[in-house]
Amino acid sequence: MKRTRLTAGVATSMTLALALTACGSGTDSGDGGSEGGTPEAADITLWLNGSDTPDELRDFLVAEFAEENPGSTLTIEEQDWEDVVTKLTTALPDAQNTPDVVEIGNTQAATFTYAGAFREISPELYAELGGEKLLPSFVEAGSIDDAKYALPYYYGSRYMFFRKDLWTKAGLEVPTTLQEFGDAVQELRTGERSGFALGGQDWRNGISWVFANDGELAVKEGDEWTSTLSDPSTVKGLEQWQDVFAQASNLPPTQTDEAYWEFLNDPEKGGEPEGATIMAPGWARWSLGDLTKNDEGDEVRDGMADTKKFDIFALPGVDGGVAPVFAGGSNLAVSAKSQHPELAESLLRIIYSDDYQTMLAENGLGPANTDFNEVMAADKFGEVAVETAEASKLTPAAPGWAAVEGAKVYEELFQKIAEGGDVTALAAQYDEKLTPMLNGQAG
Amino acid sequence: MASTTSTTSTSGIAIRRRRRPATPYLLLLPAVAVLLVGLGYPVYWQVVTSLQEYGMLQQFGAPPTFAGLDNYARILADDRLVPVVARSIAFCLVNAFLTVGIGLGLATLMRAVHGWVRIVMQVVLLLAWATPLVAAVTVFRWLFDYRTGVVNWLLVQLGFSQADGFAWLAQPATFFLVATFVVVWMSVPFVAMSIYAGLTQVSDEVLEAARLDGANGTQILVRILLPLVRPVLAIVLLLQIIWDLRVFAQIRLLQDGGAPVSETNLLGNFIYELGVGSQDFSGAAAVSIFVLLLTVALSAPYVRSLMKEDAA
Repeated sequence: MKRTRLTAGVATSMTLALALTACGSGTDSGDGGSEGGTPEAADITLWLNGSDTPDELRDFLVAEFAEENPGSTLTIEEQDWEDVVTKLTTALPDAQNTPDVVEIGNTQAATFTYAGAFREISPELYAELGGEKLLPSFVEAGSIDDAKYALPYYYGSRYMFFRKDLWTKAGLEVPTTLQEFGDAVQELRTGERSGFALGGQDWRNGISWVFANDGELAVKEGDEWTSTLSDPSTVKGLEQWQDVFAQASNLPPTQTDEAYWEFLNDPEKGGEPEGATIMAPGWARWSLGDLTKNDEGDEVRDGMADTKKFDIFALPGVDGGVAPVFAGGSNLAVSAKSQHPELAESLLRIIYSDDYQTMLAENGLGPANTDFNEVMAADKFGEVAVETAEASKLTPAAPGWAAVEGAKVYEELFQKIAEGGDVTALAAQYDEKLTPMLNGQAG
Repeated sequence: MASTTSTTSTSGIAIRRRRRPATPYLLLLPAVAVLLVGLGYPVYWQVVTSLQEYGMLQQFGAPPTFAGLDNYARILADDRLVPVVARSIAFCLVNAFLTVGIGLGLATLMRAVHGWVRIVMQVVLLLAWATPLVAAVTVFRWLFDYRTGVVNWLLVQLGFSQADGFAWLAQPATFFLVATFVVVWMSVPFVAMSIYAGLTQVSDEVLEAARLDGANGTQILVRILLPLVRPVLAIVLLLQIIWDLRVFAQIRLLQDGGAPVSETNLLGNFIYELGVGSQDFSGAAAVSIFVLLLTVALSAPYVRSLMKEDAA
């Protein structure tokens, strides 16, 4: 699950450039020596991606870690989702500079697990951290046979945020089928406003239409992965998405997964918003709504407090119900080269504690430990989140998946479809390109 | 000018034989050491990697296997390579000549204007040059943003209503137009300053004599100034060609704004996509060596003529 926020992205890449120069000093090994099972005091580093983990949770981790490990400190460094594969590929093999604990996109976890980048999580520790209660599909993405390497951090799925005022004004109701949704957003589109603000290269939202039509991106037969874009169901889904993009979105076909909430909020210069509907992960809520001041006096969005103006629904399926959307989320792992594995494991114990799992759920991040789903379903946001997550699907856990993402192959395919290309021909062309990549054979 | 005086003076003194002093070689040592460590080792590693099978597993400790020239064969057979090479060479030549042309224009302008105007120009050029790359590209991305960009707004104000919401980065042609703006904007200051420095060395007597002989402005520029600053022009153009062939970050940062990636990749981006994006480190190393050879091939005739000129 990767996403960009224009400004945040720029800011992080700048801070990163600064942070990188300061990286070398991260592993000072004091002469304390370990005595009686307590690990040597040290500073360990946790890499979190994007701004998904709210500050409140970060502060909790830092404080709790310092309390449980006197003398040791936890440093949290934020990485940009766009660069995370690159950063991990270069940092993890380097014992001097490796972060101790890393967050990694669930779809990228398999590649690194197979490469031996992560330290094995012992069966005892796994059981202690939650064992069977941890989200199974994510655990599987970070396992080789029975050995566990990367555990789920949080899951999130995407649902629709919409301008209730605009929908109501147009006399439209929340749609119950995918076709109805397409018709509604088409009706809401004007020259200045996207009925459904959607970027052409944004395949992470786009594949929901494939999944909804029972299509698959790739399947595993024996030990080999095959790209299945040409499968009739997949083609049908892609064509339906092409239609929605052409009829309802004013965004360019090259647009990536961008800060969609800017389209839904009232523009600062006044006038109508530029979009009536967007599809985004649950945490997008905090970038939506009217402007207000928080306790520190900063200008923030009120989190869709005006329920007449903003509302949400789950993307409906082809025959009603809920469409399977892309299951986003991430895994956590300890670097195989970490100099302080005991401290890293102590951090894992804090993260999988009841307190932290509750905090995740309260903040709309699907908790790793499924026992805490109830906490999340407390309001309409949580309800829809749980509902869509239950119906959601993972991208193929193929060994070459990170390479496919790294080379932006799906971005390119969806862009060409958005430009009005012939879906059947494109599907055949990209199947040929993707199958060897999925199996880890370069180019 | 300077060279003629120095040759006459050395030939006058060099009659007496001197013992070979060790100091110059000692002084060279640090520079050579830095070159060996800073350039030699990476190139060595690059060559070795390009001859191995080196991917994600090897990056995390598996022993690499020797692959001979397989990587080169694979890369040369890759149908992505030829368009990328053609695009890179075209982009590099257009940008290098544009940069030097504009730089030359600004340098002659600086020579012609009054003192304080010149100082303002120099400060402005230096500021543009000092702008960090990421910041500069970000500014250009904002300028050309399809939704909120100033460029589209201006065009609409000027009556080009079709510019409303026009996505500059979405088509390769306009993408490279924006990329050219960024690259030229960032490299013109260096070229302009260098040529201006060369121009200040042209003595006023020569120009006065030309004027007395009735030469007009164009003639003075083409027949007198240009031949006299030719060595500077030549070096600057060579550097510019080499730099523009390896342009990477500008393209990459613009692509992040949403662009047809495979149709806008230049050599640097292609290597990045192979190596860092797809973890095919050996393939990326092979392309890098290929780019090294390409750079040498592109600049070799040029360097040779420069050396000939020096010797003459």
